[in-house]
Amino acid sequence: MKYLPLLLLAIVWETVVQLGLISRDLLPSLSDVARAGWTLLREGDLWQNGAASLYRGGLGLLFAIVIGGLLGILMAWWRSVDAFLGPLVEALYPMPKSALIPVTVLWLGFGDGSKILLIFLGCMLPVTLGAYNGARSCEQVLVWSARSLGASRLRVLWDVVLPSALPELANGIRTALALTFVLLVSSELIVARSGFGYLIGFLGEGGIYDAMFAVVLVVAFLGFFADRLYQRLMDRLLAWRD
Amino acid sequence: MARLILPWISILGLAIAWELFARSGAVTPFMLPTLTTVLERMWIDAASGELWQNLGLTLYRALTGFAVAAIAGIGLGFAVVYSRAARWLLDPLISVGFPMPKIAFLPVITLWLGFHDLSKISMVVFDAIFPVVTATIAATLAVERELLWSARNLGASERELLHEVVFPAALPQIMTGLQVSLPIALIVCIVAEMKMGGIGLGGAMITASRFADSPGVFAGIVEIAIAGYVLVRLMALVRRRLLAWHPETAAPATV
Amino acid sequence: MVDSEGDSVKQIAVERVSHVYRPARGREVLALDEVSLEIGVREFVALLGPSGCGKSTLLYLIGGFLPVEKGAIRIEGAPVRGPGPDRGIVFQHFALFPWRTVRANVRYGLEKLGLAREEQERRAQHFIEMVGLKGFEESYPSQLSGGMKQRAALARTLAVDPKMLLMDEPFGALDAQTRSLMQAELFAIWQRTPKTVLFVTHDVQEAVRLAQRVLVMSARPGKIKASVSVELDRADPHIYRSPAFAEKVDEIWNLVRDEAIKAQ
Repeated sequence: MKYLPLLLLAIVWETVVQLGLISRDLLPSLSDVARAGWTLLREGDLWQNGAASLYRGGLGLLFAIVIGGLLGILMAWWRSVDAFLGPLVEALYPMPKSALIPVTVLWLGFGDGSKILLIFLGCMLPVTLGAYNGARSCEQVLVWSARSLGASRLRVLWDVVLPSALPELANGIRTALALTFVLLVSSELIVARSGFGYLIGFLGEGGIYDAMFAVVLVVAFLGFFADRLYQRLMDRLLAWRD
Repeated sequence: MARLILPWISILGLAIAWELFARSGAVTPFMLPTLTTVLERMWIDAASGELWQNLGLTLYRALTGFAVAAIAGIGLGFAVVYSRAARWLLDPLISVGFPMPKIAFLPVITLWLGFHDLSKISMVVFDAIFPVVTATIAATLAVERELLWSARNLGASERELLHEVVFPAALPQIMTGLQVSLPIALIVCIVAEMKMGGIGLGGAMITASRFADSPGVFAGIVEIAIAGYVLVRLMALVRRRLLAWHPETAAPATV
Repeated sequence: MVDSEGDSVKQIAVERVSHVYRPARGREVLALDEVSLEIGVREFVALLGPSGCGKSTLLYLIGGFLPVEKGAIRIEGAPVRGPGPDRGIVFQHFALFPWRTVRANVRYGLEKLGLAREEQERRAQHFIEMVGLKGFEESYPSQLSGGMKQRAALARTLAVDPKMLLMDEPFGALDAQTRSLMQAELFAIWQRTPKTVLFVTHDVQEAVRLAQRVLVMSARPGKIKASVSVELDRADPHIYRSPAFAEKVDEIWNLVRDEAIKAQ
């Protein structure tokens, strides 16, 4: 199996700590971590913080997808919008979005709002670019065919341009998905009172390292599985791609 | 010509819009200080030396991490392509690690390596190495068979093949990986600094936000944006120099 | 080369070679089926066949790029062991090193031979001029047209003075006019510095134009179907419009046509 080395790594981890080769203070054993994680799960800390994180991430990403996607397609479709917003988008592109963490806190404090805003702002760009490039790649002949078959200009946008744009848009959303996790964890590590990132920081500062490792692994693998799931979904949805 | 000026025009436009909007009274100076206030603040920090201290430290950490990530990343990429053992071990690590929010490991790295530069640089390496490795692997696998065969046909040994043919052929794509990795290095460093506090652009910004020092926070944003922009331009220049022979940079054919 | 009985030792001898193509995904395919052929010193032989018949594979086996699994290939009596400068190769898509100038490309084989720097420069210049690229020594491949790239590739291969040339549809990527010019040039070069040439093509006219002998291959799995000798007076500039030429093309095309249909 492809992931066998990971399994072996886990076994090595457990063995090395159990044999005392590495101090338990630095690296809790895998079994300790699992136990601590299970406790967190049972006592609800994982669920509570997880729900907060999911809520923020989900909402921010949703806004980013809807508004960013719309924006990208509009920019691709109407030259005037493109001319106006295009250079702006290009100028803001190299700006690292995590740098906005202190600003969002300044504006909206330590709660949900600042995280949602951060994720919305950060994730909008890859979605917009994906939608834009996807819409631009729509072949002229497809549009003409639809028009000659009776579709109105607006109808064409929905029937032809949007589906054509989907593959690239899907790619942009995939990037945004990964970015959501990063921005979420980053901001929660630094300026939050709940959420996965906060929980990690809290446990770390309290010296409860086995639980800390547990949450770190949970978050890391959540990011991995979210990406895999998304890919599967997209492969299914976009099966018509050649 | 227009293409060169256009981005500057929109930045200028953005700057003017910022200033006007901030002065308009629609938002408080706290929420959005005027651009002039922010620039003034940057000037003061520059004069006092604080700006250079923060910038210098952040750049030192980010670029050191980037350099390590670049060299190790290229090395690991080659290892994966040429060694079956390396491929078996590293492939799952790479594909699992890539979509992970690696910043979640920051507290673990802090636990192991303390609160000084080493932990920040390590965090940078951990994040920045992935795009380099994947780019190197893809680039090396994509080297055209006929280039390798031609070189062997002309008498090249296996070792000569690697550094005389494979490396230059793979370089364009590897460079792209490096160009993706550099901004990542910068932002990861800043986030780590925000978490750990202290000196550095990130630390300064989070301190400013804790003291409700709005101009300080916005000054930080502008400084980071400029630093990021300069680094990206420098990389593009390096790319143009190194890859002068590449079709995308070469002059069009005359015949 | 002549042995004691006065017969010429064959420069390239292929003895009942079979080759199986094993793709990463999918079934194995028999590409070549017990192919045998012989090529003498300084012969210009064309290897002609429809797409997918394995002619390029055969060339790569002779070149030493693919291992011989069944059968044997001997170069001047000795079995093939990997690629080398004795069998110069020219590919369809030029395979120039894009990061080296024309001059640096041509010098590559000379560097490998360990020649002195001055000697490298001298020889490289000689061959660059021979293929008509004088003035373009410092250009990068991306700045050259298709025909110019192929000339550069030819110069690079000729510079190491190989005993034989293996050419894999070298003019296939060029437009019709350039192709015609290059054919004439290749022939002129061959006349000046005669070498053994094995020239793979799917173009019957090209084969008749250049080769003294045309080997016709069957569709996959490839076998040598026929060996047709082409005796034309190539000194005569009108020979390519003569009835003799057309007849020869017809003769060979009839042999190929059935195979081409099968290959569909």
